[in-house]
Amino acid sequence: MEKQNAYGEQKKTDSFRRNWDTESYEKKARDREQQLRIEEEDERRRRKGLKSLARQPADAAKPREMLQARKQTVDLEGMVGKVQVVQASSAASGQPGFYCSVCDVTVKDSLTYLDHINGKNHQRMLNRGMKVASETVDDVLAKLESLRRIRKQRLKQSSADYDFHEQVKRQELLKEEKRQRRKRAQAQKKKKRQQHKSKADDGEEIDTETGSIDDNDDMLAAMGFSSFGASKRT
Amino acid sequence: MANRTANTALYVHGTNPQYLIDKTYRQRIYDSLYWKEHCFGLTVTGVMEKAVSLTSIGGCFGRTNRPTEFLCLLLKLLQLQPDRDMVDALVDQEDFKYLRALALVYFRMTQKPKDIYSKLEPLYKDYRKLRKRLHSGKHEIICMDELVDKLLTTQSVFSLSLPLMTLRRKMEDLGDLPPRISPLDETDSETDSDSELEEEDK
Repeated sequence: MEKQNAYGEQKKTDSFRRNWDTESYEKKARDREQQLRIEEEDERRRRKGLKSLARQPADAAKPREMLQARKQTVDLEGMVGKVQVVQASSAASGQPGFYCSVCDVTVKDSLTYLDHINGKNHQRMLNRGMKVASETVDDVLAKLESLRRIRKQRLKQSSADYDFHEQVKRQELLKEEKRQRRKRAQAQKKKKRQQHKSKADDGEEIDTETGSIDDNDDMLAAMGFSSFGASKRT
Repeated sequence: MANRTANTALYVHGTNPQYLIDKTYRQRIYDSLYWKEHCFGLTVTGVMEKAVSLTSIGGCFGRTNRPTEFLCLLLKLLQLQPDRDMVDALVDQEDFKYLRALALVYFRMTQKPKDIYSKLEPLYKDYRKLRKRLHSGKHEIICMDELVDKLLTTQSVFSLSLPLMTLRRKMEDLGDLPPRISPLDETDSETDSDSELEEEDK
């Protein structure tokens, strides 16, 4: 326990020693020991010609499933433009590249990544073999039928969506909107220009009162350049 | 391996069916992104699904000789080796032309000459247009009957070499095949007989 003073504040101890967080360090040491033990075990297994423990999936007892095609496309460009802190440790998850969370592996380019996720080891981690399910004619015919149905539906939908008169109306509206936008923009530009003009006039008046502009001009002319382009004079 | 031939597949023309595509082409397909990303773990129905959404047929294109999606799917079919009746179903269906084109090329590569002649010749009637990707990367229009003609009479399509095939003339001489009756002949003979009948009436 820390010592507390009468106001309930923590009292500074006179000891210069650091307070160690013993619990977390103990956990760390335990983990390290465990890892060492696994490595030793792996080494023993390797000598016997068996596979390492770390590579075996958790549910190795389950019967292996058939290979399946991916439903979604592989997201190769997901990290483009993102900033990631690279860890100095050797943990794979902190390294730059394509990280596979299933196998805890990071590979450095997209083709290798695709090779990895198509590979035997990765599929084994997902408890899948490398054989696809066999199919029969009935499957093929059923698939044809479903493809036909999908196409029919899509055609129906697209023809329902398309209405000629509606399209013409929409186009006209769009055109009108565009015209109005252009008009508004032009009006705004004109207004701005006028404002700018009046401001410039005011500025010059003030300057002529003090006589600084003329002096400056004389000086500039003497130096070889009469005026800068920005100031507009009438 | 993802590139291994199915273990139930039989040898075709004396080799592994995948070897029917030349090694250079095969290797390019294995290395292509489409193969790795979209063709992995496909079954025959999966290939059908992809083939339906194809937009062109062809071999390799571009400076780097990139294989077309069509070629990748063809290799996938060779790898899977669907049964004969499955291939028949794919050739016979009329709704999806790219799927039919794919099945046609597969049929030509793997079946016996007699079957090829009897199966493909009726398809001279299919005049639907297909988009063909040229080696330059541009597209060209080719009709289904042109493709069938190429498959039946030449040794290569899309610079993809096809297995040797006995000439039709020779097969007719041997009595393996009856002489071909063109659909044009059929209509001609009909009109002829009609006119004959008319003459008789007169």
